[in-house]
Amino acid sequence: MRKSSLMVLATVATLFIVSWIFKGIALEDIYESNYLQGFLLTFSAFLTLSIMSFLYKDNPFYKFSEHLFVGVSAAYAMVVGFWTTIVGNLVPRLSESLSNFFQIPYQEGTYNFFYYLPVIFGLMLLMRLSKKHGWMSRIPLAFIIGTTAGLNFIGYLRSDFTNQIAATFIPLLGAAGEWKGIGDFFSNLSLSAGGQLVMMLSNWVIFLGVFCGLIYFFFSREHTGLFGKASRVGIWILMITFGASFGYTVMGRISLLVGRITFLFKDWLGIIS
Amino acid sequence: MRIKYSFLLALFLLLIPFSALIFGQDGAAASGETESADSLALTLPAPVTNLKAINTPNDHGHSFTVTWDISADDGGGLKNVLFYRVMRSDNPDSSFKQRGENKLPRGASTYQDNGSKRKESDDFSADFTDFYYRIDAITIDSNVFSSSGIYGPVQSKGEWYNTGRTPVLVAVIIFLILTMIFVALAKKGADLYIRPLAGIEAVDDAIGRATEMGKPILYILGLGGADQIATIASFTILSRVAKQVAEYQTKLIVPCYDPIVMTVAQDIVKSSFMDAGRVDDYKEESVYFVTQSQFAYVAAVNGTMLRELPATNMYMGKFYAESLILAETGALAGSIQISGTDEIAQIPFFVVACDYTLIGEELYAASAYLGKEPILLGSLKGQDMAKAAIIVLMIIGVVTANIGGETLENFRELFKVIN
Amino acid sequence: MRRQIPFALVFIFGTFMVFQYFVPHETSEWIYEYLLDWIAIIGIFALALGIWSFYKVSVDKIKDKNEDWPYSVISLSGLFVMIFFGFTARTGESWGFYFPALLILTAGLGMFTMAYTETSSSKSKTSAMIGLGLIVVFVIISIMDNSWNFYFYTQEGLKNIAFISFFEHIMIPIQATMFSLLAFFISSAAYRAFRARNLLSSILLIAALIVMLRFNPYLGPVSGLMADGADWLINVPNLAAKRAIIIGIGLGIVATSLKVLLGIERSYMGKG
Repeated sequence: MRKSSLMVLATVATLFIVSWIFKGIALEDIYESNYLQGFLLTFSAFLTLSIMSFLYKDNPFYKFSEHLFVGVSAAYAMVVGFWTTIVGNLVPRLSESLSNFFQIPYQEGTYNFFYYLPVIFGLMLLMRLSKKHGWMSRIPLAFIIGTTAGLNFIGYLRSDFTNQIAATFIPLLGAAGEWKGIGDFFSNLSLSAGGQLVMMLSNWVIFLGVFCGLIYFFFSREHTGLFGKASRVGIWILMITFGASFGYTVMGRISLLVGRITFLFKDWLGIIS
Repeated sequence: MRIKYSFLLALFLLLIPFSALIFGQDGAAASGETESADSLALTLPAPVTNLKAINTPNDHGHSFTVTWDISADDGGGLKNVLFYRVMRSDNPDSSFKQRGENKLPRGASTYQDNGSKRKESDDFSADFTDFYYRIDAITIDSNVFSSSGIYGPVQSKGEWYNTGRTPVLVAVIIFLILTMIFVALAKKGADLYIRPLAGIEAVDDAIGRATEMGKPILYILGLGGADQIATIASFTILSRVAKQVAEYQTKLIVPCYDPIVMTVAQDIVKSSFMDAGRVDDYKEESVYFVTQSQFAYVAAVNGTMLRELPATNMYMGKFYAESLILAETGALAGSIQISGTDEIAQIPFFVVACDYTLIGEELYAASAYLGKEPILLGSLKGQDMAKAAIIVLMIIGVVTANIGGETLENFRELFKVIN
Repeated sequence: MRRQIPFALVFIFGTFMVFQYFVPHETSEWIYEYLLDWIAIIGIFALALGIWSFYKVSVDKIKDKNEDWPYSVISLSGLFVMIFFGFTARTGESWGFYFPALLILTAGLGMFTMAYTETSSSKSKTSAMIGLGLIVVFVIISIMDNSWNFYFYTQEGLKNIAFISFFEHIMIPIQATMFSLLAFFISSAAYRAFRARNLLSSILLIAALIVMLRFNPYLGPVSGLMADGADWLINVPNLAAKRAIIIGIGLGIVATSLKVLLGIERSYMGKG
C-alpha cells in the first residue's frame, strides 16, 4: 500500500472514531445504547460519503460499500423471499402438518394439491447444477416464459393500446359540428389559448404527431421521399417529447440529493436543525 | 474528468432551488360542501320504485347488479332522503341484511353487489342460489326509512365469454392472420426489405471494436424479470451478440439482476458458444447473478464498468431510475454504448447518454434485424401492416370525429374494452 | 424430445393465458391465480441458484487472487451475516454470546472458503480442520447459550434487531445515496446534450430548457406566453409522440409474444 493511501485510511479511521464518540455523547439523553446508535449513524454517514466518493473516482471506500451492499442485499432478498413466499404463500397451501410446524394458519381449500407443482418445477430448476440433468431446468423456464408471453400478448392490447387509438379520434376542423365554412373561421379568429384556432392547431399537431411517429416506426419500407419526410418529422416530435420528459425529471432528481444532504448535515452532523 | 465534475457541481448547486418546487407542491385541500339538515323533516319518504336485480354480466359470478328509480323525495318532494341501503336475503320474508359497508348517498340508483368467491369468506355469495333484494330509502335518522317492495328470486352465475372484450379478440385474430400471411410469404422466399437501423448496425462494429481493443463487452439485461417481453426481446439480442462474441473470442460480461433471467441467459450464451463451435471458451461465470436490489445492482455494475473498462456496454430490456446512472458512468468510462428499452420515461436518458438508442418498438424489431431469418422478417412485415391498419383507422376516426354525433359514438364503441 | 417439451409447454401455457382473458368464469380465474403464484414460488428457488452463482463468482475471485479479492470476502461476510440474522433472534433481554458465536461461525466458514481456494493441499487441509473446529465451537455455544435461538419455522428473524439495523443502516443509506447520485448524473447528461451539436439533440435540449424554465424558481412563477408554450409542449406534441411510442410498443410486444408462443422465436431458449 502506498504511503498516501495509508494516510487517507488513517484520516478516515480517525474521523470515524471522533464522529462515533461525539455522536455517542450527543445522543446520551435520547438513547440508552447511545454509543451503539452513534456508531450506526456514523457508519451510515460513512457509507453515504463512500458512495458519493465514486463521483471523484473508483476507490477502496466505494469498493467496500459496494461489496458490502451487494452481499447484504442479496441475503436480504433471500431471507425475505423465504419468509414471505415459501413460508407465507406456499407452505399453508401444501399441508396442514407443515403449516402447523411453521405456526402459520393453514388455508382451507381443496386445491392445495396444485401447489406441489411449483415445488417440482423449482426442484427441476435446481437440477441445472447437475451436468447430466441440466436440461430439466428448461421445463420450468418454458412454463414461466409461456405464461408470461400469453399474459403480455393480451395485456398490452387490452387497455392502453385500444384506448390510445380511440383517443386520437379528434376533430381537425374545430369541435364536432362547429365548422361553418372558411369565412366564418377567419372572421372569428382569436389567438387565445382556449380559442378555436389554438384548439384546432393542437389537434392537428396531435394527429400529425401520432401519424408521423408511427411512420418513423415502419421497418419494412424505405424512408425516402414523402414517407421519409414524415418519418423525419416523427423523430423530431419524439425528440421534443424526450426533452420535455428530461426537463421535467431534473427537479425530482435534485430533491433526492437534497434528502441525502439533509441526512448528512442534520441527522449526522447536526449542523442544521 | 474532475474538472468537468466541478463544473457539474456548480450546475447542480444552481439547480438545488428547483427542489423547493417539489417539496412545495401540496395541493390545496378541496373544500367540501356542507348543507344544513334543518329542512329535512323526519316524515317517512316515498320508497324507491322499479327495483330490479340481475346477475352481473361478463364476470366470474357471485355478483348482482341492482338498479332502481330514486325515491320521489330524493332531491324533490320532501327532500328528506339522505341515503339508500341495499338489503339482501335468501328468504323473501325475513333476515334481510345490508350489503356493502356503507350506505349509498342520495341520488344513487344502481349498485353492484359483489360477494366473495371464496367459500371460507364471511362475505361468500353462492352461485345458483336464490336471493331477494330490497332497497331502503333512509332519512337523517337511520331508524326512519321506507322499504321498497321485494325483488326476487335472482341467481348469480359466472360466464364463459366476456362480450366486453370482443374488440381485443378481433385485434388478436387480425394480428394473427397478418403475421401468418407474411411469415408464409417469407418462407416462400419473398424479398423482404428492411430499412437500416443505426443502433443495430452499430452492434457489429461495437463487437469488432471490442475485439480489436482486447476489452470485454458488457451486456445488461435490465431490471425486468423473465415475465417482461422487453427482457425476452433482450434475450434474443443477447443470443445473436453472444454468437458473434464467441466467433471473435471476445470476453462477454453479463451481470444479472433476476435469478431466472440469469438462468436463461446462461443457457443462451452457452448454446451460442456451442453454435459457434467454441464451447470450450464458454465460462459460466461470465453470466452471473449480482443481487435483487435495484441500487446494489447499479453499484456493482458501475464498479465493473470502471474496473473492467468494457469497450462496449449494451443495455437492452426494462430499465427504471438506474438507466441514467449506468449510462452516464459508461459514457464517462469511454465505452461505446448501445441501449434499447420500452420504458418511455427512461428513453430520454439513454438518448442523451448513449451513442445509439433503440426506441420502444425498435427493441422488439432488433432480433429480426440481427437474425435476418426470413420468418422473423416476415413477422416484422406483419407488424408494419398492423401499423398501417391503425393509421387507416385513425384517419377514419378523425373523419367521424368531425361529423360528430352518433357516427363518432358508434365508431368509438368499437374500441371500448371492459377490463 | 428434450427440445420439444419446453416449446410445447410454452405454447400450452401461453395459449391458456390468452384464452383465460376472454373467460371470466371463476375456474379460469382460479387457474390464472395459481399460475401467477407458481411463478413467484419458482422465483424463490431460482434465487437459491442466484445466491449460488454469487457465492461461486466471489469464491473464484478469491481463488484466482483477483486484485479486488478482499472485497469479495466482504461481500460473502455480508451475505452470511445477514442470512444468519434472518434466521436467528434474541429470546431474552441480553444478547448472551450471540455476536461472539456469529464471529466464530463466520470465521469457520471463512476457513472452509480458504481451504477451497488454497492451492497447496497441506495448507488447505489445515484450514479445513481449523474451520471444522470453529464450527464445532459454534455449535456448542449455540446449544449452551439460551439467550438467543435459531428460528427456521417462525418469522422471528425478520424482527431481529440486528437484521433490522443492517437493513436500516447499511441498505437504506447506500440505496438512497445511489439514487441521489442521479442529481449529478442528470447534470452531466444535460451537459453532454449541450455539447452534442446535431439537430436532434438540439431539439431535445431546447424542449428540456423550455420545460425547465417553466418551473424555474428564480424568476418566480412563469406566466404568459412562456408558461403557455411549455404547457402546450407537455400537453400536445409530448402526448402525440408518447401515443405513437405506446402504439409501437404495443405492436412490438404483441408480435414478440406471438412469435414466442408459436415457436417462431426460439433463441431465448438455448439449444442442445
